[in-house]
Amino acid sequence: MTSAFFGLQTSLRGLLAQQQAIDITGHNIANANTAGYSRQEAVLEPTRPYLIPANSINNGSGAQLGSGVDITAIRRIRDQFLDLQYRAQQMNLGDATARTTSLDQAELAFGEPGDDGIQAQLSRFWDAWSDVANAPENAGARSALVTTAQTLTSTFRAVSGQLTTVAQQAQDEYDAITGPSGDVANMASELAGLNRAIGDAVFRGQQPNDLMDRRDQLVDRLSQLAQVSVTDTGDSRWRIAFGGVTLVDPSTPAGYTWPQTLTTPGGKLGALLDLASPTGAPLTYRSQLDAVAADLVSRVNALHTSTPFFDPAGTTAATINVAVTSATVQTGSSGASGANDVAQAIAALRGGSTDQMYQALVAQVGTESQASVRAQATAQSLSDAVDSRRQSVAGVSLDEEMTNLMRFQRGYQASARTMTTMDDMLDTLVNRTGKVGL
Amino acid sequence: MSMRITTLMSSSAMLRDLNDGMDRLTRLQDELSSGKQITRPSDDPYGASRAMSLRGELGGLDQYQRNVDDGTGWLNTSDTALGQVSNALQRVRELLVQGGSDTAGASARNAMADEIDQLTESVKQEADVQYGGRYVFSGTATNTQPYQLGGSDRYQGDAGTVTRAIGPQVEIPVNVDLHQLLGDGTGATDGKLLDTLRGISAHLRGGTPADADALRTTDLQSLDANLDTLDGIRADVGARTNRLAFAASRLGGLQTNATQLLSNTEDADMAQTITQYTTQQAAYNAALRSGANIVQSSLLDFLH
Repeated sequence: MTSAFFGLQTSLRGLLAQQQAIDITGHNIANANTAGYSRQEAVLEPTRPYLIPANSINNGSGAQLGSGVDITAIRRIRDQFLDLQYRAQQMNLGDATARTTSLDQAELAFGEPGDDGIQAQLSRFWDAWSDVANAPENAGARSALVTTAQTLTSTFRAVSGQLTTVAQQAQDEYDAITGPSGDVANMASELAGLNRAIGDAVFRGQQPNDLMDRRDQLVDRLSQLAQVSVTDTGDSRWRIAFGGVTLVDPSTPAGYTWPQTLTTPGGKLGALLDLASPTGAPLTYRSQLDAVAADLVSRVNALHTSTPFFDPAGTTAATINVAVTSATVQTGSSGASGANDVAQAIAALRGGSTDQMYQALVAQVGTESQASVRAQATAQSLSDAVDSRRQSVAGVSLDEEMTNLMRFQRGYQASARTMTTMDDMLDTLVNRTGKVGL
Repeated sequence: MSMRITTLMSSSAMLRDLNDGMDRLTRLQDELSSGKQITRPSDDPYGASRAMSLRGELGGLDQYQRNVDDGTGWLNTSDTALGQVSNALQRVRELLVQGGSDTAGASARNAMADEIDQLTESVKQEADVQYGGRYVFSGTATNTQPYQLGGSDRYQGDAGTVTRAIGPQVEIPVNVDLHQLLGDGTGATDGKLLDTLRGISAHLRGGTPADADALRTTDLQSLDANLDTLDGIRADVGARTNRLAFAASRLGGLQTNATQLLSNTEDADMAQTITQYTTQQAAYNAALRSGANIVQSSLLDFLH
């Protein structure tokens, strides 16, 4: 037979378990809006039953009497497979975002279509030559031409400088992220610390849910920067490969190794490295702009034979320069005041290869920028979709928590009622029995 | 089993939708306020490059139009001057016919010679006419006075051709080689206008029978030949003026076309954009309203 107080203990276990479940629900509600939080769930299991060896008076067979409930674990609800998908998408998103930002800046550098872009300046340059052709003897027209040409060359230089800056900014951002106190170093150091804390907790038989959430969140962020892969070392600690090298390794004394040279960056860092390289988009645009400048210089100088109109040494967009003054502008081959054949020939370059090369370049910049915006939108929506599925599994639903709250509260009330019943029974036994005839 | 929807999911999805809606609204607003559907190359790379090329073409057409105007002014100036020369020569011819008759006395012939000298100077003056500060009959030596008044009859200009570009690879000469009409005066004995006029004046003053004979025969023939040349030159100027007028109207048509194409390429279609804007605004408002309802309500609202 069981003790007379057995039922009290069963009720108490019920009370404690329901109370803890309410605490967990409270924790979930409190973190309903916390980024990276995975909802937690109390795993309720019946406690070990009480063995009554000869329960039946009739046949003497034994029985197992339930002894209540216990919370065996606080489970973190999360789908590791969705994490993998999410991180792969984050890497694409990081890559696309870095490219979009950079290409957007490059596109803005050209300032097309507009009144201040190279196209408009070229058009004014040809206009100025036509004006000189109409009035070759007029010093005013020649000096207007020289001023217009100087504005054109300074616009070339400005656009070239801005494209260089765009590439430099990508390099600077890469350096900042990978530098000694950059994001990668900070995250690696925090991940190494989390690895230790999680390993210790798991060793003691605990499940460090909130630390694991934090670690998952850091790996999410890291995956935007470069290709990340995670291996569990068997004790819930993670070895993390980052851009082709091992970044976090619990078996090393520091727990992480940084700085290192990434072999296969991918993600944002890969995109930044690519953008900063001489074959990256900004510097490719710059060298194409150099070709436009060189074409302009060679075509105008070939016709302006008396003295080079543009400095022949400056054949890049950064070095193009006007070499003539209003007095040395050549209007005609004969040198007569009204001779305008040279000016006519140069004005006839309007709409020629220089304009066409430049227009093709702007169209290319526009196409690539547009493609990067689309790629980013796609990466964003894929990432959102996976995140949504992940949220569907791990996120907190207030409706659900409210239902749980009611459930556990009712459970608590019922357990308390059982306890009261037990108390009443004991009261009958202790205070009301043995009083016959008193 | 249906997908589990969490609180954060519905609010972040709503936020994303609101952002998208706002983004579309902002783009349409940009189009409406700027009147352009292409404000940067990535809006429509092909359209942008087409717009740039059309804009360049339009700039060229404007410039050709200005060139035509300048050329027309140059030719009009030339034509007026040639008209004056023609009038002067008609008067010379009258005087020549009078002076060639035997009835004219010495003093009358001298007076005629004086008038012819004056007319000769006025012809040279017309040859020195300027357009925009440039001598139109000096060839390309536009800063050099072609004939010096009261001095030598020698032509000071050159034989260069002044041209204006009125289209891609189309150049039209706008100056007239007046030297072929006027020549270099007495010393040159080239039979040109100034030589002839100086000869007539000398023959009138000479008074010998040979002079009178020359006045009636060679001088008259020579003057008529020069008048024919002048008429030819004036016809040529008129033809070129007509050609410029035709070019101007053609350029005007091309300008209208290019402007139209440019507008079609880069200008926003207002009716369409406003309709889209209104639609987007309605969608955005609906998203806001439903969002406000979704985010607020949960089971919490119904528990007491």
